[in-house]
Amino acid sequence: MQYTTDVRLIRLMCTGRVDPTMVAEAFIEGADGIMVVGCHFGDCHYISGNYQARVKMGLASRALGYVGLNAARVAFKQCSSAEGDRFVSHVTTFHDSICEIGPLGSAEKLPLPKLKDRVDTARAALASEKLRWVEGKFTEFQNNGNKYGEKFTEHEMWRTLDTIVIDEIATHGILKEMRKGAASVIELAERLEIAPPAALKYVLALQRRGLVGLAGVDGATPSYRLVERPAKAA
Amino acid sequence: MAEQIRIGVFVCNCGSNIAGYLDVKALAEYAKILPHVVFVRENLYTCSENGINEIKAAIKEQGLNRVVVASCTPRTHEPLFRGTCAEAGLNPYLFEMVNIRDQCSWVHMQEKEKGTTKAKDLIRMGVAKAALLKPQEPIQSEMDPRALVIGGGIAGMTAAMALGNRGYEVTLIEKSGELGGLLLKLDKLAPSGADAVAVARKQADLVRRHPNIHLLLSTHIDEVNGYIGHFQVSASTNGSKTQFGTGVIVVATGARVFRPAGLYGYDGEKVITQLELEEVFKSGAFAAKNVVMIQCVGARNDERKYCSRICCMVAIKNAIEIKEKSPETGVKVLYRDIQAYGTENEALLQRAKELGVIFIKYDPARPPRVEAGKVIVHHDLLGREIELPQDLVVLSTPLVAGEDNEAISKLLRVSLDANKFFLEGHVKLKPLDFATDGIYLCGNAHYPATVREAVSQALGAASRASIPLSKGVMSVEPIVSTLVDEDACRGCGLCVALCPYGALEIVRGEKGRKVRVIPVACKGCGICAATCYHHALSVNSYSDAQIGEQIRAFLEESA
Repeated sequence: MQYTTDVRLIRLMCTGRVDPTMVAEAFIEGADGIMVVGCHFGDCHYISGNYQARVKMGLASRALGYVGLNAARVAFKQCSSAEGDRFVSHVTTFHDSICEIGPLGSAEKLPLPKLKDRVDTARAALASEKLRWVEGKFTEFQNNGNKYGEKFTEHEMWRTLDTIVIDEIATHGILKEMRKGAASVIELAERLEIAPPAALKYVLALQRRGLVGLAGVDGATPSYRLVERPAKAA
Repeated sequence: MAEQIRIGVFVCNCGSNIAGYLDVKALAEYAKILPHVVFVRENLYTCSENGINEIKAAIKEQGLNRVVVASCTPRTHEPLFRGTCAEAGLNPYLFEMVNIRDQCSWVHMQEKEKGTTKAKDLIRMGVAKAALLKPQEPIQSEMDPRALVIGGGIAGMTAAMALGNRGYEVTLIEKSGELGGLLLKLDKLAPSGADAVAVARKQADLVRRHPNIHLLLSTHIDEVNGYIGHFQVSASTNGSKTQFGTGVIVVATGARVFRPAGLYGYDGEKVITQLELEEVFKSGAFAAKNVVMIQCVGARNDERKYCSRICCMVAIKNAIEIKEKSPETGVKVLYRDIQAYGTENEALLQRAKELGVIFIKYDPARPPRVEAGKVIVHHDLLGREIELPQDLVVLSTPLVAGEDNEAISKLLRVSLDANKFFLEGHVKLKPLDFATDGIYLCGNAHYPATVREAVSQALGAASRASIPLSKGVMSVEPIVSTLVDEDACRGCGLCVALCPYGALEIVRGEKGRKVRVIPVACKGCGICAATCYHHALSVNSYSDAQIGEQIRAFLEESA
């Protein structure tokens, strides 16, 4: 039973402990791939931790994929503590696929600083309240339904999460840009590589939440800036 | 003033297990240059008396306040090294273990250089985490010395008696109006031939007269809150509510016999179940001349994949009973496989054959057909269909999970398996415990069992349950969730909803709604910490900062 020397292990009590932002942070620190390995479904030592982890890792992979990271750099696998061969097979397969993708940035065709900056935006999105609620309630909504007894399919849940991921990444991207100074919607749209009407929608939503305000008007173009307020609001 | 971190690193050779495949000298040299490391020692076996004494001496002489051992697996050796630290006066949670054997030397046997580089990284990561470790104190909590047993069948009664006899106050809750469970419907028990109802009544009598057992019949459990040592139970008996506390809970809710509606012409008169046959025996109305029994009816199929395990023995027992009552009656048993495990059961199978019971194997792809006065079955050895005369067909049906299992599993926050039977904490190591502390299981609630098995399990579960009860005070590993930033918590309750152990609650205090951790109920999985978007919660020894530092330490040199 032998495997690659390229892997480093971090022990956790349960895969449910892995905050998706940790995954984003590891890429910012320079990891080429992250695999979370835990118990088989239905066999979780902590009852439901691996179901939480499944959604959290799925979400991390989607959010990071959305900002341009190769989503295959995130993996979530199962094996029991008695399945050494299976663990080796997971590590080997994952290592092979990472070798194929190449070092961080190469497959993404983005300069590392830019990629890491975008991963950092995804990190902020992954920490957002809305995503956390939907992610947390994913399994319950699937199996038992919401407060009104409505059940949702796997597909419906991911579709919902995808929409929130896109919204949150754009929102946090705008907030991050505005920390550098006031900007117009057109400028923001260009910098974030999104359509101007979409950028306007997010800026107006932020304005309604009181996080962004009008900075001034240059000709016919309004520019916006962050509203100074206690940090806890965001 | 900030404490000055002084880390000691002990690198183990593990004989040749590590030193044979990694450059241990280089590892020890490398450890010396890591931040906060003030002392490094290489040991032949760190876990030997010598190694242990060196750790203790270094803690005292070098003033170490963190210890890192790079050796084997924490699964076997972490308790030993933690104990060593404690003996030398260092808080045992200021110890960190790095696994350079299972995770390195053993899996990179042909790559000494690369393996050594990896081991350096692992040690660097361990040291980085160690610097951030915080002392922890064991969590202690008083036990409510009472027990609750759910279910008044043979398993529940046995568990209640066993706990009562040990001197604990026991509440036994039974949903029906009578003690005895499934036994009340059976005739004789194999292999002893004892009268089932008499066995049940005798035990029920003892339970009723037991001074320590408080019996609640016709009672349903409405709510269970709390955790080991401090459960709060609400139950209602015919509409009147009672509330009481208990330290432990034994689940002995039994199972139901599957009713084979629509299978093999089941009508309850000419085509009946084994259970109904036993009722016929009891009423003395048995008069059939040709009996055909069909095994695995509604079992081991797509809908119910499992083998109910006891039905073969029930059929054999009843076939013998027929032969003993009425030797001229023909008995044929159509089976797929015979489960007659154990010497006594095997002897019964032989006895049935000696008495003239005929066993015919059938193929589930070509199941028997029940027609008027006969059963037609394909005989594998003859290679053709044969006709068996019958005036009574008996179907052996499986035990299926109790109808209340799902409700009870939700009340107690314990797991069910795919067939809705209760799921034990570990198939080999914790067969009578649930994953949640303080809750135990026995009998048919877990899986179809014979009376003897149910009784053994009940005695075992009672014994397991009396371990925490006998201690009076319980002590729990402090690797639990902690509210590290009370101001950040907004009391949203997401963590409470996700906690698999009910170890979190929202309380209203001076600062408004805040989460509170119930440390004795917490297992430290960390779902809450990974979910809290304000990072108000963390897990001791697995904090965001500690894990983050491990990640940074891993990537700092390769970056």
